[in-house]
Amino acid sequence: MNAFLLTGIQIVAVLGISPFTVGLVRMFKARLQGRHGASPFLPYITIATLLKKQMVISKSTSWVFKIVPFVVLGSTIFLVCVLPLVVFGGMFASLGHFIIIAGVLALGAVFLVMGGLESASAFGGMGASREMTLASLVEPAVITTFATFAVVTGAFTIDAMFQGAHILTSPALVPAVAALIMIALAENARYPVDNPATHLELTMVHEAMVLEYSGPYLALLEYASAIKLTIFSLLVANVLFPLTLASNLSAAAIAIALGFVVVKIVIVSFSLALLESVIAKMRFYRMHEFLTIAFFIALSGLVFALMSISL
Amino acid sequence: MNAQQILQNVQLSGESRGNLAVAQTIDKQEFTRLCERLVAEFQLPLSLFYATDKRSEGHGFGIHALFSVDATHEWILISAHLPESDPRYESLTKSVMAAHWYERYAMDMFGIIAEGHPDFRRLVHHENVPLHTHPLRKDFAWNTKMEHANEPYPMHHIKGEGIYEIPVGPIHAGIIEPGHFRFNVAGERIITLEGKLFFTHKGVEKLLEGKTITEAMPFIEGVSGDMAASHALAYVQAVEDLAKTNVPQRAKELRTLIAELERITMHTHDIANMAGMGTGFTVMAAHGFRIKEKMMRLSERVFGNRFWKGFVVPGGVGKALSKDQLSDIAKTTKEVVDEMQDLYNLGRHSDGLRERLETTGLLTKEVAVAYGALGLPARASGIDRDVRRDHPYAAYAELKPEIQVLSKGDVYARWKLRALEMVESLKLVETVCGAKNEGPISAEVNIKEGMGIGAVESWRGESLCVVYVKDGVIDRCVVRDPSFCNWALFGEIGPGNIVPDFPLCNKSLNLSYSGTDL
Repeated sequence: MNAFLLTGIQIVAVLGISPFTVGLVRMFKARLQGRHGASPFLPYITIATLLKKQMVISKSTSWVFKIVPFVVLGSTIFLVCVLPLVVFGGMFASLGHFIIIAGVLALGAVFLVMGGLESASAFGGMGASREMTLASLVEPAVITTFATFAVVTGAFTIDAMFQGAHILTSPALVPAVAALIMIALAENARYPVDNPATHLELTMVHEAMVLEYSGPYLALLEYASAIKLTIFSLLVANVLFPLTLASNLSAAAIAIALGFVVVKIVIVSFSLALLESVIAKMRFYRMHEFLTIAFFIALSGLVFALMSISL
Repeated sequence: MNAQQILQNVQLSGESRGNLAVAQTIDKQEFTRLCERLVAEFQLPLSLFYATDKRSEGHGFGIHALFSVDATHEWILISAHLPESDPRYESLTKSVMAAHWYERYAMDMFGIIAEGHPDFRRLVHHENVPLHTHPLRKDFAWNTKMEHANEPYPMHHIKGEGIYEIPVGPIHAGIIEPGHFRFNVAGERIITLEGKLFFTHKGVEKLLEGKTITEAMPFIEGVSGDMAASHALAYVQAVEDLAKTNVPQRAKELRTLIAELERITMHTHDIANMAGMGTGFTVMAAHGFRIKEKMMRLSERVFGNRFWKGFVVPGGVGKALSKDQLSDIAKTTKEVVDEMQDLYNLGRHSDGLRERLETTGLLTKEVAVAYGALGLPARASGIDRDVRRDHPYAAYAELKPEIQVLSKGDVYARWKLRALEMVESLKLVETVCGAKNEGPISAEVNIKEGMGIGAVESWRGESLCVVYVKDGVIDRCVVRDPSFCNWALFGEIGPGNIVPDFPLCNKSLNLSYSGTDL
């Protein structure tokens, strides 16, 4: 029962705060660029507005186009259920085997790609091809990063990994965390991989795939990407500060964990906004280098971890 | 060698009118051969090619080629007549690449056939315009309602495994003018790139016919909003050339002032737009556009509008500027240029930004010469041409701006050159603002029959205007925005780059749809 409630609290907290995360990044970016910027609560209104709007769906699409938003949103909600974001030891924590996590991430990406291809527009196909290029490069880095955690902590679920991962006592985790941050940027279509605010049809990756979606479907997809950003923000923060999570159902522990969620979101959003304001987006053909570096950093972590075990 | 000597060399007689040498009208067979000789033997750039309808005078159609003799600051105009019954001549494009769009334009607008033109497709007329519609012929009324036709307007296709065609526009995601681009790509690499413009033809040239000199001003200033002062200046210079008006010195200086202010405004915009919007280095855009706004507000304060309009008038300038206004201009401009230099240095030292800009959108000198590229993109590719020095107008002969030329020809060179030119412009602005502010600012313009030419180095490049006046009103007014010559460069700049870098190439030229789409 306790585990069930813990998971329930985590789901409500993450799903509730997600649009705020996106809005906060936008606001920080605006402030850093000398603009006033919209309220960080704007994405809630955007999603509500989209839900009320009529949908325009191309005649050339099949049923796949219609299930994509649900699969993408479903896969992100699954991640919210199993990952240690607000609490440790949730109901479904045992499902969070790192191979499953990598698989669910890939599932979301593949369906998004299919949604992009469905409408047979030039941009959807272009975005889809770019996304698959990135996905195939991200995948090995994800596996290697979590493998490092697995070796260090001897656990295979993310939940157990993060409980046992103390970055100060196991230096092998430092490269793994660095790789995790790079993966998080690529997975969430942020700088330097993709520009989330782009209006340029020709440069976009994620936006190109969702270009043909409108109304409630678009709301689902936007919500899914907001949740994903929140998941990765919290993951990166949690691996650095695992003590900020609640592991029992006492009111104090929960309140502290929830308070920390807001603090973590604010700090991560600000760092992301800062990063996106001080660098230019990379040339698309440099992505390979970026993600290869992520992979090799993760690999070096794994090597350190294996060496420290055998010694 | 000056213009007269060149004409003698090719056994042509001609009259010299100031800095324009008008060759006697020649036979159409000779026309093409002669133009080819001027380009090949004397390396004269073809500056303009246009047609006229002279059927009312019994001459059929006229075709005219204007060559620039940069060294002696002169122009050479070669003309030929084509009979109404058979308006054909041998295409110049076969050997003079720079004529390619001009000849297609004349085919659409006048029905003059350039035989052997390598690209016989329509240019201005889209599918919906019926065959044999030639709007610039005198017997075509400006308010003609056309039938809706469905003529072919094919785009280039490439066949092959993995070749993918991306149509972009004419409606874009940003708030820009309409233009359609067709990419043929293999993966992300661009193989060919072609544009289809002329979506919002305004009929400016037709509307100008029959207007008086002053009635035409708003139309000229509206050709391209970001170049209002430059177009107006080119036009009034053409009129003054025709009327032999002596513009007072202070008016000339003030014209230089407004032209340079426009240059600073738009260079600010472009530096911000390329680095900021093109690469996603948002801080450049945020600050650049804020700084540009200062210039636009300066225009609002001094001239009553945000786009440097209404100041240049035939005979001089529209109003005297007070001492306070001049010091406001000098102070604001200095502030703007200083801030932009800081921003430029910030960008220059950003590895990420330079990585995006360098080697992107390469325009080689050879291509730039062949296509007759103009203005800043040409100078960034090593072509040392600038109307301010080669055909001095306004007060440039005395002020002698230093012309900067870069050789790399990539997006970075074009970005950098804007920052460099801005500093030079500031010097000119400060000189004019600090000079003695007295004397008349306009002279009377006595309109005669005849033709005149005006050339201006706008921020975008050489802007030309040729005016023919008959019975006190405009008979034909050719307005040539530099964009008209530079649009075709995309076909050369784009291929080899990857699709996500195209917006950067596009922004580095910043061409006007409206200025091309008269």
